[in-house]
Amino acid sequence: MSKIKLFLNESWLLVVSSFFFGLLLAVTNAAWSPKIEQNKQAEINHLMTYLLPEAKSFEQAAEAEIDLGKGKKTKSRIYKALSADGECIGWEFNAEGAGFADKIEMIIAVDKNFEKIAGIHFASLNETPGFGDRAKQPYFRNQFAQAPAGELKLTKTGDPGKIDSEIVAITGATVTSTAVVNSANNYVKPVKEYMLNKGLIQNVK
Amino acid sequence: MSNESSQPRLLEALTAGIWRENPTFRLLIGMCPPLAVTTAVKPALTMGLSVIFVLVCSNLVISLMRNLLKPHLRIMMFTLTIATFVTICDLYLRAFVPDMSKILGAYVPLIVVNCIIIFRAEACASKCGPLVSVLDAIGTGTGFTIALCILAGIREILATGNLVGYRVLPHAFVPWLSMQMPVGAFVTLGLLLGLASVLTGKNKGVA
Repeated sequence: MSKIKLFLNESWLLVVSSFFFGLLLAVTNAAWSPKIEQNKQAEINHLMTYLLPEAKSFEQAAEAEIDLGKGKKTKSRIYKALSADGECIGWEFNAEGAGFADKIEMIIAVDKNFEKIAGIHFASLNETPGFGDRAKQPYFRNQFAQAPAGELKLTKTGDPGKIDSEIVAITGATVTSTAVVNSANNYVKPVKEYMLNKGLIQNVK
Repeated sequence: MSNESSQPRLLEALTAGIWRENPTFRLLIGMCPPLAVTTAVKPALTMGLSVIFVLVCSNLVISLMRNLLKPHLRIMMFTLTIATFVTICDLYLRAFVPDMSKILGAYVPLIVVNCIIIFRAEACASKCGPLVSVLDAIGTGTGFTIALCILAGIREILATGNLVGYRVLPHAFVPWLSMQMPVGAFVTLGLLLGLASVLTGKNKGVA
């Protein structure tokens, strides 16, 4: 009994202040978490509007489960892009993969029949400045625009301006280029299959 | 307690951290942010202000409870207090300055283990009254912020030609990209430390 008394005597301040600090954090979190959530959504919306400028609104259509192989599974949120008069003008979904320094998170936009990629943009890319970082620049990113929504291939030489399934890598940033192309490949096909199964898109020949 | 309110002591508490005991240039503690978040002035300033906020709050709270602290549980109390304010700071940045929060990333939560804050808690706040502790926190935090901004200013100008986002060097200037990478931080910091030690005459008498 005296031991419990001793413990309480020594640690009461820790217990009491943990309670108060916890309370303080709970209040702060409750007050600001809607704003934080709103910021996240605003950022995704900003990227999605950038990729499909004609779209006026986006609605979350589905959540596809992606099998990355080796038992790894992840999810991809699929958004339907709607024009001003409520027609579907395309789809966007998020993808991620391991880059050279950090996780690469991106948004991939496709046209309404899922035949061509409309563009990609990065929600998070923290690669080496001057090398992997250049994936953000239009000359790399634009290679994805209008590319067929199928398997993409990374090459070292070629014409970045040509619209085809070949993506010309960034000099000095092989890991980043590979990561971006691989994550696009990992997501595009399963998302397309998922959407065909769900009847969200029709297979047009 | 009587000498606590005397003017010289208060002034001393406020100014010590700015140069004589500058955490970055003179004491060389808390060296993670000066190397990691000084690629541009804006994130460096945000980091500095976050540290000032955490330092002032934790110093104040610890100073108020200093007579209740048990010697062997004090570090736990310091960490608990610091972690609380760092979390508040992190939430604030994420809610109201999302751009900066994204750039600083993990370095905001890492303020918890920043040596400067626990050092001021141990060396000052757990021994002095609230007024001295708060002034000390402002002084040390300001010194740290100034150091971060100097480093960030030099690196930003050399790496991009901009300062706080505005072009300052002629367009003919070729950006020196390595200044944006970790090597740039180490080189700049090394040169500044050398300069600080020349200015203070620290290595006088050394052949």
